[in-house]
Amino acid sequence: MTGLAPPASARLLATALLIFTALVMLVPLGVVIASSFSESQFLVFPPRGFSFRWYGEILGSQAYLSAAWTSLRVAVIVTALSVLVGTPVAIALAKSSTPGRAALSGLFLSPLVLPTLIFGIGLLMAMSIWLGGPSIWGLVVGHLVICVPYVIRTVSAVLSRADPQLEEAARTMGANVWRRYIHVVLPQCRTGMAAGAFFAFNISFDDAVIALFVRAPGVETLPIRIYGQLEFSPDPSVAAVSTLMILVSAVLVLLVDRAIGLDRMA
Amino acid sequence: MAAVDWVRAQARKESLALLAPGILVLVIAFLFPVGTILITSVLERTEDGAFELTASHFGKFFVDDYYLKVAWRTLRLALVITLATVIFGVPLAYIMRRAHPALRFAILLTVILPLMTSVVIRTFGWLVVLGNGGLLASLVAPFGVTGRSAVLMHTETGIVIAMTQVLLPFMVLTVLGVLQGIGRDLEEAGRTMGAGFWQVLRVVVLPLAVPGIVSGSLIVFALSISSFITPSLVGGVRLPVMAGSIYQSIGGSFDWPFAAAQSTLLLAATLLLIIPYARLARTP
Amino acid sequence: MLNRRHFLRDTALTASALAVPSILRAQDNRLVINSFGGAYEEIHRQLVITPFEEMTGTRVEVVTAYSADTLSQLRAQKEAPQFDVAHFSGGLETTAALEGLLSPIEPSELSNHDQMYEFAVAGISKGVGPTYSTAVIGLLYETNQINPAPTSWNDLLREGIGERVLVTDAASNTYGLLGLLMMNHALGGTMEDLTPGLEFVRKLLDNGAVVVSKSPEIQQNFAQGSAWMAAYAQDYAFTLTKAGLPVKFVQPQEGAAFAPITVNLVANRPNRELALKFIDLSIRAEASAGWAEALRYSPTNRTVTLSGEVAEQVVYGEAAARNLVGFDPVVISDKRAGWNEEWKRLLVQ
Repeated sequence: MTGLAPPASARLLATALLIFTALVMLVPLGVVIASSFSESQFLVFPPRGFSFRWYGEILGSQAYLSAAWTSLRVAVIVTALSVLVGTPVAIALAKSSTPGRAALSGLFLSPLVLPTLIFGIGLLMAMSIWLGGPSIWGLVVGHLVICVPYVIRTVSAVLSRADPQLEEAARTMGANVWRRYIHVVLPQCRTGMAAGAFFAFNISFDDAVIALFVRAPGVETLPIRIYGQLEFSPDPSVAAVSTLMILVSAVLVLLVDRAIGLDRMA
Repeated sequence: MAAVDWVRAQARKESLALLAPGILVLVIAFLFPVGTILITSVLERTEDGAFELTASHFGKFFVDDYYLKVAWRTLRLALVITLATVIFGVPLAYIMRRAHPALRFAILLTVILPLMTSVVIRTFGWLVVLGNGGLLASLVAPFGVTGRSAVLMHTETGIVIAMTQVLLPFMVLTVLGVLQGIGRDLEEAGRTMGAGFWQVLRVVVLPLAVPGIVSGSLIVFALSISSFITPSLVGGVRLPVMAGSIYQSIGGSFDWPFAAAQSTLLLAATLLLIIPYARLARTP
Repeated sequence: MLNRRHFLRDTALTASALAVPSILRAQDNRLVINSFGGAYEEIHRQLVITPFEEMTGTRVEVVTAYSADTLSQLRAQKEAPQFDVAHFSGGLETTAALEGLLSPIEPSELSNHDQMYEFAVAGISKGVGPTYSTAVIGLLYETNQINPAPTSWNDLLREGIGERVLVTDAASNTYGLLGLLMMNHALGGTMEDLTPGLEFVRKLLDNGAVVVSKSPEIQQNFAQGSAWMAAYAQDYAFTLTKAGLPVKFVQPQEGAAFAPITVNLVANRPNRELALKFIDLSIRAEASAGWAEALRYSPTNRTVTLSGEVAEQVVYGEAAARNLVGFDPVVISDKRAGWNEEWKRLLVQ
């Protein structure tokens, strides 16, 4: 190790880069959090005074509360469906007996790299032309397609470390299909399913793009509410809502870390 | 023999059953909407109400200076943003690979937490930093920089800064994934053979990291050309990008076929980038 | 962690969520309207929304959306609109009415109908809701920096203020559109030919003018000292003055644009009665006077008498209104899409 120590110049550069990155990545979140405790009516820097009044404001605001309730409902449904759909796919992709695994896995993971915008526009057009207009179910379906790949990835990640012998043993010992899945396969997937669920919840809860396009009358999610406020006039109450949403994301990130380790994101 | 065949057939059936719900979702939520876009983009309603094939929606895009300008800005910004994420992301990934586990975790958190935060909120943060009376303006005010020049809102520079933060995690995580696959012994070998630190970086690490950098760049570029929220809020009305133009066609001028044509072009550009990405990702 | 029981519980949760037609539930006892945000929305609440809620026990849900956005949403939701009552400023109500998005109202359905000036209720049988107040689009200027005060639209080109001029987006903001039409009119253009107006704006942009699309941006720019002159509404000048900013409004000699602000009944909604009650409440004398007192909008209810300072600061009475230019909303409705395209091309950098 000692022989490999980078020179002082490299260390200096690395330190500078780290500080710079930390600033660029975290300052935008930091200013939002700081602004949420401001006393003044306007968003100015540095924030004036310290108060929780904006938190009081949003907790008393019907618009924010109903948007939060919509977001929560959509996210819970999307999470459950994503796990239900994604887990079996990951299990199938882990089996050597599944034909065309590479192609299938590419197909199933493709929504990760294709523009979310396209799904939003496509769903809007498809629903308007054939289903008489967008609805909250369009939102659920749109979120599902971007969330399922995360479940597939996380479950696949844990399955790649799992012992395939176990299932084989269960099979040869004559366990029927259901018993085999419930007692052997699903327990192996557990942590992956949990991590996938946290991702799915977070992505659905945070999405603004699909929600913006597939906007049904009267269905407003929290990110859309925030987007509207930003377009109009950002005030510290938006900062307060955003701070709470950052908190939710932070908790979910830590839960993902607990479940399978953040390292596996790379 | 028959028993083996039976087992194999059984296993196939099982796989198919497992895949079925996923395939259903892909069809309903993916192929069907994308298909609708493609169909809408080439159809035109004639006087008598029938539909006929047309290329006019695409034609409109390519003959109009305005849309070409918008497309050019979209591509130009995406290039600059990609370059910025390479410049910052690649060294960062390398540092992460070498860092002490605690530091590494801290960096990982710094990169992933913003990634997991809604893009609306991150953009909001940039509005507070870059806008009138924002953090940046109040930081440079003591140096006599005031008024318009202290405000990066509604500038391309502002868009690039905000988008780089939004997309940097994708670069870092992709490159880190590749770097983790490179054995430390290669580097050590280079060093023990007398090469300097920078030389090893240049001759050993960088070439091996190239697939990661390329796939990271493709993904950042693809996400960048299709992003909407950040460019529209930071850039404002005078700096439209393609996604914003599509949004305008849908909600402003109600020209859905034209919106579909623009979406098709955007999708085609993305696929052009993503297919080589998928190839690269598959080669170990 | 997710064990089997939790898994089943999650599934059950999903199923129950699916079973509740949640969107339809809260519909019965609420009224959805749009308002224009900021100080406007506050006063709106005070004058109309809260009294309505207290009177009827109905919850009013306010969506902050300017006229252009509201029209887009009404169009997109034609079959199942979200709004019960839509407020417009600056001519788009005629567009919406022509497209069948608004519902006609009979004079007998509004108890305050006979108190209104004739022009304010002229279109209600065709779907154009009553004009509950009017605004005037002229020039706002920073009194410490701009000396002498502007007298003409051409003063926007005054030497040395180039970067501190605000232009309002004409595509997304109807006050911006009226401002553009007014500049065009001042320079000899007609509704058929917008070239003089567009060329004028091009000059402003070349001088470094900044384009804004929402009122709060105008306030921010004046507050930060980055704006000295802007084409916008008189009522907004008063909002800025109230906020302690040294801003005044003038009607340029070539004239100022007249902007009706209307309250409209959206078609295809089930609660017509409630919505009509809301509209009736919006046009009562008390509200009309309230708008003038709080934000200096001109009243359209004949029975309103203003006194002292308020009367001086609003366009009030016939003599004062002579300098106002009205633009034909039918022509606006017909040409707006084309104008938007031209405007978009003018702005793009």
